[in-house]
Amino acid sequence: MGAKFKALWRKTSWAWSPESDRESSEAIVKNFWLHWFPAKVARASMDWNYSFWLGTASASLLMILTVTGLMLMFFYVPSTERAYGSIKDLQYAVSFGRILRNQHRWAAEGMVAVVYIHMARVFFTGAYRGTRAINWVAGVVLFLVTLFLSFTGYLLPWDQLAFWAITVGTSIAKQAPFVGPTIQFLLLGGHEIGQQTLLRFYVLHVFFLPVLVWILFAYHMWRVRKDGGLAAVEGIRNARVMVPKATPKTKSYSLFGLTPGTSVAVMSSTGLEESDQVFSSPNMSRRIALVFLVVFNITLLAAILFNAPLEGLANPSVTPNPAKAPWYFVWLQELVASTTVRFGGYTVSGALLGGILLPGFLLAVLTAWPWLDRSPIRAQGRWLAPERKRQNMTFAIATLAIIILIMVGVYLRGPYWRIYWPGQPRPETPRLY
Amino acid sequence: MDGDRRKILRFIGKGSVLAAFLAQIGAAGRAFFPNVLYEPPSRFKLKKPDDYPDGYTLDEAHRLYVIKQKDAFHVISAICTHLGCNVQWRDTEFDCPCHGSRFRPDGTVIGGPAPRPLDWFATTVSPDGYLEVDSAKDVARDFQLVIGGNGKA
Repeated sequence: MGAKFKALWRKTSWAWSPESDRESSEAIVKNFWLHWFPAKVARASMDWNYSFWLGTASASLLMILTVTGLMLMFFYVPSTERAYGSIKDLQYAVSFGRILRNQHRWAAEGMVAVVYIHMARVFFTGAYRGTRAINWVAGVVLFLVTLFLSFTGYLLPWDQLAFWAITVGTSIAKQAPFVGPTIQFLLLGGHEIGQQTLLRFYVLHVFFLPVLVWILFAYHMWRVRKDGGLAAVEGIRNARVMVPKATPKTKSYSLFGLTPGTSVAVMSSTGLEESDQVFSSPNMSRRIALVFLVVFNITLLAAILFNAPLEGLANPSVTPNPAKAPWYFVWLQELVASTTVRFGGYTVSGALLGGILLPGFLLAVLTAWPWLDRSPIRAQGRWLAPERKRQNMTFAIATLAIIILIMVGVYLRGPYWRIYWPGQPRPETPRLY
Repeated sequence: MDGDRRKILRFIGKGSVLAAFLAQIGAAGRAFFPNVLYEPPSRFKLKKPDDYPDGYTLDEAHRLYVIKQKDAFHVISAICTHLGCNVQWRDTEFDCPCHGSRFRPDGTVIGGPAPRPLDWFATTVSPDGYLEVDSAKDVARDFQLVIGGNGKA
């Protein structure tokens, strides 16, 4: 019944259907929407438990952010007088404006998290060896641009969070050796935060940084294909080389006529075999659509349930007490607050040490990691390979340290940035801002 | 030689087009450094000396503290030297709400990440009798503006 119905469906609704594998491949390669997929993709690459489809989830969030962001641009006015009011309008006067802004905000915070977890997945599976090292670097840059997008994004509502984040952020930039004051002047468009500052961060947020992310994203995808798919397939490729198949008896032509025996060519199969692969459409395209829909629904649900934060109107006279960065920057706030060192008459500000040098060092190590990695190549493409134990521990401990700093900043810091343990009473501070 | 002349002319031709292209990129970049700033002047008037009570008074608009001890005045910046948040006077010390820097009543550092003391601003009395501050001038830490019976001394 099912097969008959399927045949009927084909006959009535399709003018053409692929008759061979070759035609199936061409149906993908010649299609505008599908041509950036390979015709075939390895089953191992699509394993839910290998990649958790975190890259696809990141790309889905990018898509959601681009579309909701474009919508928000119709309502937002990048002026210091009107920015805050236009956000209030979105919250209270525009139909579903609140949902739009909430979804943009939660997708943005989700993207920071998902991109980092995606990076952790690539690290723990050792999937950055050989030519994939270039794509690891592209990924690190993408993570960095994601953070800059988040930063420039939460400045736009021109609330207290925005004003004091710009104050602190550009003051850190000022601490950079030699070029610091110039960078601060360039970012602010003057010596003080004002209209020029908002406009500059606005154009960065809605044009330059998104375009950069999309270009890097396209490059990231292109490299995945050129590097031969996910590293998960390398194990299969190696297995094909290591274990020669039993070869059928053949006859080959020698100089002196027919010779029975085996031919040499069949001993070394290096690529993936038919049985390892499936057509990317519909096998992969359907899963991508599924991942997108799940991600979309999670962000939408969050948007319905939780309102994006909005503090009082920016006020240069009053600093919120305590003034906390969003969670993904709180660990940096902890670093700048605690890394000022004094020896003799010299003082090195935490702004330079914890705000620039230490994050810069972490970033350099992260970028260069594929070249520092001395683990055996066979460890790639597998979760938590024992050969990579020390490397994975290093990454895990660094991540844990950052999470602890975030926890301290978010939960323990109270007025005047003092530590208050759970249950310890916190002094009342005026909240008239 | 004919070939050499062509080479040179070609070099000049391509080079000048490329130079103009690069110069325009530089010019576009230069536009981002404003020549005119619509910012308040660093020298400004506060209230009259008699309008201040004894002790520490916050001037919110200018982000500074006016400190009056009998006839002596000095002005300390409320902008934290660490990363620019507003410090708050808490009866015995200045505290910063952003990263926890702490300063003594004279603005020197007790603890926290601040790398240097709070600025002391040059303070005078304007001809029409108002306290006048120059926030671009950081003065020595023992600076006091003493106001006697007839203006200043």
